[in-house]
Amino acid sequence: MQHVTRGGSRPLSFFKSVKPSTLLLTIVVIFFFVLPVIRLFSLSFVDEGAVTLSNYSEMLQEARTWRMLENTAWMVLGSTFVAVILGLFFAWLIAYSDIRGKGLMQLFILIPFIIPSYIVTLSWTQLMGRNSFLADFLQFLPGDLEPVNLYSMGGMIFILGLSHFPLVYLFTVSVLRKIPRDLEWAARSSGASPGKVFAKVTLPLALPGLAGGGLLAFIANLDNFGIPAFLGIPAGIPVLSTAIYQEVVGFGPGAFSRAATLSVLLATVALLGTAIQWLLVRKSKQLETVQQDYSPRFSFGKKRLGVEIMVWLFLITLTIVPVISMLMSSLIRAYGLPFAAENLTLSHYVFVLAENDRVQGAILNSLMLAGVTTLVCLIVGTALAYVRTRKPTALNRTLELFVALPYALPGMVLALAMIFMWLQPIPGWNPGIYGTITILFIAYITRFMILQVRGSITAMAQVDPSMEEAAHIFGARPFVKWRRILFPLLLPGMLSGAFLVFLTALTELTVSSLLWSSGSETIGLVIFNFEQAGYSTYSTAFSTVIVTAILFTMLILYALQKAWKKKVKEA
Amino acid sequence: MTTHIQQIRKSFGSFEALKSISLSIEKGEFIAILGPSGCGKTTLLRLIAGFDSPTDGEISIDGELAGAAHYSSPPEKRNIGMVFQSFALWPHLSVRKQVEFPIQHHPHASKEMKAHKEKRAEEVLKLVGLGHLADRMPNELSGGQKQRVALARALAHEPALLLMDEPLSSLDAELREDMRREIQTIHRMTGSSILYVTHDQGEALAMADRIVIMKDGRIEQIGAPEDIYLRPATPFVAGFVGKATMIEGTWTNDTFKPAAAPEVTWSGQGIHDSFRQDDMYPVRPDQWILTEDTQNGIPATITNVLYQGKDIHYTVKAANNQQISFIQPIHTRYQIGEQVTLAL
Repeated sequence: MQHVTRGGSRPLSFFKSVKPSTLLLTIVVIFFFVLPVIRLFSLSFVDEGAVTLSNYSEMLQEARTWRMLENTAWMVLGSTFVAVILGLFFAWLIAYSDIRGKGLMQLFILIPFIIPSYIVTLSWTQLMGRNSFLADFLQFLPGDLEPVNLYSMGGMIFILGLSHFPLVYLFTVSVLRKIPRDLEWAARSSGASPGKVFAKVTLPLALPGLAGGGLLAFIANLDNFGIPAFLGIPAGIPVLSTAIYQEVVGFGPGAFSRAATLSVLLATVALLGTAIQWLLVRKSKQLETVQQDYSPRFSFGKKRLGVEIMVWLFLITLTIVPVISMLMSSLIRAYGLPFAAENLTLSHYVFVLAENDRVQGAILNSLMLAGVTTLVCLIVGTALAYVRTRKPTALNRTLELFVALPYALPGMVLALAMIFMWLQPIPGWNPGIYGTITILFIAYITRFMILQVRGSITAMAQVDPSMEEAAHIFGARPFVKWRRILFPLLLPGMLSGAFLVFLTALTELTVSSLLWSSGSETIGLVIFNFEQAGYSTYSTAFSTVIVTAILFTMLILYALQKAWKKKVKEA
Repeated sequence: MTTHIQQIRKSFGSFEALKSISLSIEKGEFIAILGPSGCGKTTLLRLIAGFDSPTDGEISIDGELAGAAHYSSPPEKRNIGMVFQSFALWPHLSVRKQVEFPIQHHPHASKEMKAHKEKRAEEVLKLVGLGHLADRMPNELSGGQKQRVALARALAHEPALLLMDEPLSSLDAELREDMRREIQTIHRMTGSSILYVTHDQGEALAMADRIVIMKDGRIEQIGAPEDIYLRPATPFVAGFVGKATMIEGTWTNDTFKPAAAPEVTWSGQGIHDSFRQDDMYPVRPDQWILTEDTQNGIPATITNVLYQGKDIHYTVKAANNQQISFIQPIHTRYQIGEQVTLAL
C-alpha cells in the first residue's frame, strides 16, 4: 500500500514544486529576454533558406571586414588602456591619499560618465574646432600649433577612454578601500618597505578587482555606438558597431544576414568579456572584507596643496572646459563666427525648444519612453529582486542571468535582435510592432530591466532579514509590512536604481538609432541627426539643455538621498 | 497560556537539526535553552516563532495549534513577542513608533489597548526605563538603550510567550550584568512566559526557573538551575555547565575508585547512572580539597597556574596522566612542578 502511494506521489510532487506562476514567469522571461537573441544567432547561419556557414566565410574573405575588425581591436584596446590608467590614478588618489575635497572631486570624475557619450564627443569637437577659444589661444602661442583632429582613431580612443574611465574608477576605488590595512601593516612589520608592500600585498589583492574594472571598460568601449558614429563615420573609420548600423541603414542585398553575422561576432566577444569579468569579480569578493576603510594611507605632506591644484586643473580641463566650449558654440549666431558680443544669440535655444516640432516630439517621446520604462522596471524589477533574494534557487538565478542578457549584449546587437523578433513574434504573424514606438518600449524595458533588478537587490542586501522577521513577529500583515517597514527601508536604494534606468533611457542613442521610425524619434537620435546634417549650433544648444537637465535632476536626487540618510542611519 | 512542544523534528535535507524535542512552558515560567552553537537551539526558537515549519510533531501556543508537519501559522498570527539577537530595530522609526507598532498591528493586542496605544506605549517605555527617550531614533541610542527598546517592543502587546534569542550577546560584559537584573525584574512584574536562548551558562543559571540543555538536536537534561549544576545527568552537561573533569576509575555498587588512586573510595550519592555506565565520576573544579594526607587523595603535579584575582585556577597532571582542573583561594600559592594531593 505504502509502496503504491510512494510510486504515485513522485510525478505529483514534481508538478507541485513548479508552481504555475513560476512556470508562467519562466516562459515570459524566455520569450522577451532570450528568444530575440536566439533568433539573431540562428539568422546568421541561414542563407537563402538553408543552414550554412557561408555568411561567415564570405564576410571573412573580404579585406574590408578584416580592416574593420582591426580598427575595432585598436580602438577598444587603446581606449581601455586610457580608461584603466585614468581610473586607477584617480581611484588611488581618492582611496589612499590625503588630498582634500574628495566628495566634490568624485562628482567631477563621474561627470563624463553621467553625460551621454555622444554629448561628451560633441563638446570635445567644439573645443577642438577651428573657432574655439583653444584654437585662438594656440594661435597666440609661437609655433604653428593647431587643435588636435578628433575625427581619427586617436580621437575615438581618447573620448572613449575619457567616457569610460569613471567605470574603472568606481570599481577600483571600493576594491582598494576594502583591502584590510592590517595586511599592509603585517607586511611592514615583517620588514617590507612601502614600495614592496604595494607590489607584494596591495597590488596582488587589488588585481582581480582592477581587471574586473578594466573589462567593464572594455565591454563599454566595444558596445559604444555614439562616439565611433560621431567621429569614425565622418573620418571613414568603420568599427563593428557602426558597421552593423551602416549595413542595416544601407539596405543592401543580404544586409540583414550580414548585419546578423557581424552582430554574432560582436556579441560573442562582449559576452565572453562579461563572463570573464563576472568570474574575476567573484574571485575578488573572496579576498575582500566587508568594511570599506575611508581614512588615508598615504600622505603628500608639504606637497599636498600643489598636488591638489594640479589634479583639479587636470580634472576641470577633462570635464568642464569642453562643456563650456559647447555652451559657447550654442550661443553663436552662425557656425564659424568668432565668439564676440555682436555674434551672440539665444535663437538656437528658441528654435530647439519652441519652434521645431521634431525636437519637441523627441523630448516628449524620450520622456515617455524613460518614464514608462522606469515605472515598469521599478515594479517588475523589484519583484524579481525580492524573489531572487528570498528564494535563491537555481531556477531564480538562471532567470536573473536571462534578464541580464539584453544588457550584456552591445546595444546595436540587441536592436537588431529586436527587429528580427518583433517583425514577426510568431512566424507568419506580424502585429505591426516594428515601425512603431512600441518596439522601443519593449527594447528599453528588456535592456534596462537588469539595472533595476541589481539596484533593488543591493537595496535588499542592505536590509537585514531580521527587519522583515520583526515586522511579522509584531503582527504586520503583508500589506502593512511592505508599507511601513520594507518600502521605506528599500526606497533610497530602489530610487538610485530607478534614476539610473531613467537617465540611461532618456538619452539612449544606440538602440533607437536602428529602431526609430517617423514619429518615434528620441532625444539622442535628434542630436545625432542634427550633427550628421551639419547643424552644429542646434545640436550644441539641444545638448546644453540636456546636460543642464541631467545635472539638475542629479542635484535633486543627491539632496533627497542626503536628507534621507540624515533621518535614517543604520540602527 | 501554556506552550506545548510535542516530539518536534526538523530536517534540512539529510541533516537532522532537531531530533524529537518535547517541552512545555507553563504560564509565567522563565525557561532558558542552553547549548553550544549548532545544537539546534536557534532552530527550535525559529520553529516556535513561526519562521519555519517542523518536519514532524506539533507546537501549540495558548491552546492554538501553531505548527505541525507541513503546517505553520504565520508568525504575525501567533501570540508571541521576540527580542532579536541584533535587536532588529527599524532604523526609520522613532522609539515610540517601534513600541506602538505591535500595539497597532498585532491581532492579539486587545481593542482597549489599540484604542489607547499612546498610553500603553508610554507605560511599556517607563517599565524599561526609557520614558524620556521616546522621540529618539535608533541610531541615537547606545547599545543598552537599543536592547531596552527591543524589550519594550516585544512586551508591548502583552504576548503569551516572549522569545529571546541571545539578547545580551552583543553587549559588553558590565552591561550584560545590569541587563540580567533588568530582565529578571521585568519578568517578575509582567508575569509573562519567557523562552530564552543562550550559550552562556551564567545567564541561564542566574535568570531561569528551568534550564533545557541541548546538544546535537537533542535535549540532554531539563531541570532547575541547582539540579543542572549540582546533579548533571550526562557527562556533556557536567562538562558544559559545571566545567567538571571526568575522573577515570571503577564503580562497585555505590562506591567509586579513581584509577590514579585505587585505595581511595568516593560515595556515589547523587551521581547519575550514565556516569556509572561509562566508569567515570564528575568533579567540578570548585569541589576539590587539597590534603596533606597523601593516602586519601589523588597525587598530582601542577602543570599550569592562572591567577584570577579572587582565586587561582590550576591544572594538574595525575599519576595516570589525566589532566584535572581545580580552583583554590589565593592565600596559598603553588608553583609549577609542585606535588599536591587532591581529595573530595
